[in-house]
Amino acid sequence: MKSRAHPAVVAIAGAIGLLFLFPLVYLVWSVARLGGDLGATLASAATLEPLRNSLILAVATTATSGILGVAAAGIVVRGDVPLRRLWRIALALPLVIPSFVGATAVLAAFGPGGLLPWVPRLDGFWGAWFVLTLLTYPYVYLPVAARLGTTAPGLEEASRLLGAGTRRTLRRVVWPQVRSSTVAGALLVFLYVLSDFGAVALMRYDTITRAIFSARLFDRATSVTLGLILAVLALAVAAAAQAPAAAGSEGSRERQVRYALGWWRLPGQLLLVALVGLGLVAPIAVFVAWLVRGSTTIGVGFSGLGDDVSFLVTPTINSAVAAVVTAAAATVVVLPVAYGAVRSRRLAAKLSAAAVASVFALPGLVVALAVVFWAIAAPEPLALLYQSFALLIAAYVLHFAAQSLRAAQTAIADVPIAYDEAARTLGAGAMRRFFTIEMPLIRPGLIAGAGLVLLSTLKELPATLLLAPIGFKTLATTIWSAAEDGFFAEVGLASLVLIALSAVLTWLFVVRREPV
Amino acid sequence: MTIRLLLLVLTFATATLPGCATDADTITVYSGRTENLIQPLIDRFVDETGIEVEVRYGDSADLALLIDQEGDRSPADVVISQSPGAVGFLAGNGRLARLSDDVLDQVAPEFRNTDGLWVGMSGRIRVLVYNTEMVTAAELPDSVFDLTDPAYRGEVAVAPTNGSFQDFVTAMRQIHGDDVAAEWLASMADNDAQPYANNSAIVQAVGRGEVPMGLVNHYYNLRALAEDPSLSSANHFFADGDVGSLLIATAIGVLATSDDPEAANRFAEYMLGETAQTFFTNETFEYPLAADVTPAPSVPDLADVSLTTYDFDDLGGGLERTKQLIDDSGLESP
Repeated sequence: MKSRAHPAVVAIAGAIGLLFLFPLVYLVWSVARLGGDLGATLASAATLEPLRNSLILAVATTATSGILGVAAAGIVVRGDVPLRRLWRIALALPLVIPSFVGATAVLAAFGPGGLLPWVPRLDGFWGAWFVLTLLTYPYVYLPVAARLGTTAPGLEEASRLLGAGTRRTLRRVVWPQVRSSTVAGALLVFLYVLSDFGAVALMRYDTITRAIFSARLFDRATSVTLGLILAVLALAVAAAAQAPAAAGSEGSRERQVRYALGWWRLPGQLLLVALVGLGLVAPIAVFVAWLVRGSTTIGVGFSGLGDDVSFLVTPTINSAVAAVVTAAAATVVVLPVAYGAVRSRRLAAKLSAAAVASVFALPGLVVALAVVFWAIAAPEPLALLYQSFALLIAAYVLHFAAQSLRAAQTAIADVPIAYDEAARTLGAGAMRRFFTIEMPLIRPGLIAGAGLVLLSTLKELPATLLLAPIGFKTLATTIWSAAEDGFFAEVGLASLVLIALSAVLTWLFVVRREPV
Repeated sequence: MTIRLLLLVLTFATATLPGCATDADTITVYSGRTENLIQPLIDRFVDETGIEVEVRYGDSADLALLIDQEGDRSPADVVISQSPGAVGFLAGNGRLARLSDDVLDQVAPEFRNTDGLWVGMSGRIRVLVYNTEMVTAAELPDSVFDLTDPAYRGEVAVAPTNGSFQDFVTAMRQIHGDDVAAEWLASMADNDAQPYANNSAIVQAVGRGEVPMGLVNHYYNLRALAEDPSLSSANHFFADGDVGSLLIATAIGVLATSDDPEAANRFAEYMLGETAQTFFTNETFEYPLAADVTPAPSVPDLADVSLTTYDFDDLGGGLERTKQLIDDSGLESP
């Protein structure tokens, strides 16, 4: 690779990477202060068992989410299916359902006494795996769909002209171009599953996050030590999964080759129906059932629903603004890191990318407390930011930037160096080259990454509860508050609004901007 | 579009900047009690006293961790916890100030901290929630100790990582000693007690018949029935004097770092007054702990329940040991 990142870009990437190590430093400091014993904790069966469970669940979920995400993206973007745009949005939406809500809905839906009593009950490993697969496959689906929308049709056409069949073309020409997007999405699924607490707790599957939570107040030394172990593990995995190989195909905004699915058409459509049915329609049905059931009892005892639904207006606006701002901020912040990681061979650049990715594996509570730790310790002018909107956005970016980073890395790696070199030969400056050549080509990747951040922010809970300006309610905090005390009608209503808002924002900011 | 968005963000950013100097007539409350269960009362307090109240809602344990992390710079004046555990943690870390005598005198000594660092605000009773289609009341035991009987093998749901279960185990340690508590936990684990995430998850599971019975606070089933009257679940109270029918208090305390302890104490006093105590029992099915308010008809009479006596003060602290015992029992892993 001849074209290298400017040293200034690498320096900026390194500085940003250091900021993303703040949670790790906080954990090291806490372990030291509280007297956590890393060796003893690591050797204890009370750590190893949940750790093993976490890894098994993460690997299993990554496998299923990866396969389903790639298949769904392929069918929707390249297959000849009707209602493409509708599928395009609907397939992304399960990502916005908070995992504790998704798990509660699955528990309420299946098994004897549930809404669908004939379906076998799911809990434990299988329940957690089922719920998390349905809620995380969009991490793979969104970036792969974005990549499939920008590959050059010429290669595929050439392959067909040279006599290769559809299957051979898909395997030899299309797959290599989406492989790095798939790996990037799969890493996100893996890290997310490590961080999840809501689904595993309700499904009664004992993971390391459960151990971190159950010890957080009365065995803090163990809790923070486990947090540190998780952070180091995440850093190692993120570093190992670094450097997506440059596929080197020309990016393109031309009309894509669509494949006739032939006799695969029916199974393909069934897959889409199953994913959207289980991941989106089924939870929606449960929310509606709760709403209908609870609304008939309003006025019995006490009810948070009240006579009107205006209590959801402010949280909806807050959620939308916070999510859009976070998505934009995260995209800007990760750009130099992604650029450095792809275009520089310096270790610092690679480590920065790993640092950014690793934070995503930490439970939200740990990230939030790390931000509190640093904000409180900050000198006077900076300390004024404590519990401000700006700091809340910073916490979101810290937690979720991994999602836009991976998408950006993949997009940058796919820009052919030759373009840049040609422009350089013609005397174009670095800035001009970036904005006129690379930016248009990486834009779909950036937008897909921003979409992931947007949906994640919409459902974020722990940092919002601890760090938001006082009185700043979001749809996620409204859902949590209602669920905490058993106001299921309210949980249902707020969840429906959350899904509707996500659909609107996904269309407005992601799908609408894609080439057809 | 972009400009409008930018303006919106700017409005947001400025509107939400924290006040630099704390207004003397504004207090900040960190509440583990959710908005539905307390905000109407706070609104009335503001109307009656003119003191502005800002509330941060969250999980009791998480807010306790937040206050401890904030240290001397915590913006909070008052903390409200769903169980004594979280305020016990704060008291143990020197984060709470002694409440004024006007506040302390409102509540009977057994429902407040001996050093006057926090008081009980309302009470929830530990019960055995059961599915009326799977078991009859006659089959249920008089004592929580009987749940280790093979007859209940695999039939009892517990929430070992939940604050109220931990408080209950602490009370058992106080009354019967660590050995008895440890043995009960181990026997429950041997008897295949089913671990769940929290009270709400247990009541849901019992309601749909996933497990016949579970140890929870009385509140959750009443709430579930309000939402879905067709639910076949009911609360069973253990016999007189059994540790199984422990009263768990939600608690309130004032921070040592509060810059307006006077207003903070006034707030605490209001929460123990007749208006608040009536709200807690009529609107949220809880037991009043002050102002001689009688419990609402929907909650069983305290006289019938006949609570066990225990040293309430120790209930808050000493939870590290309780956590250890629960860990050692193997009850936690499903």
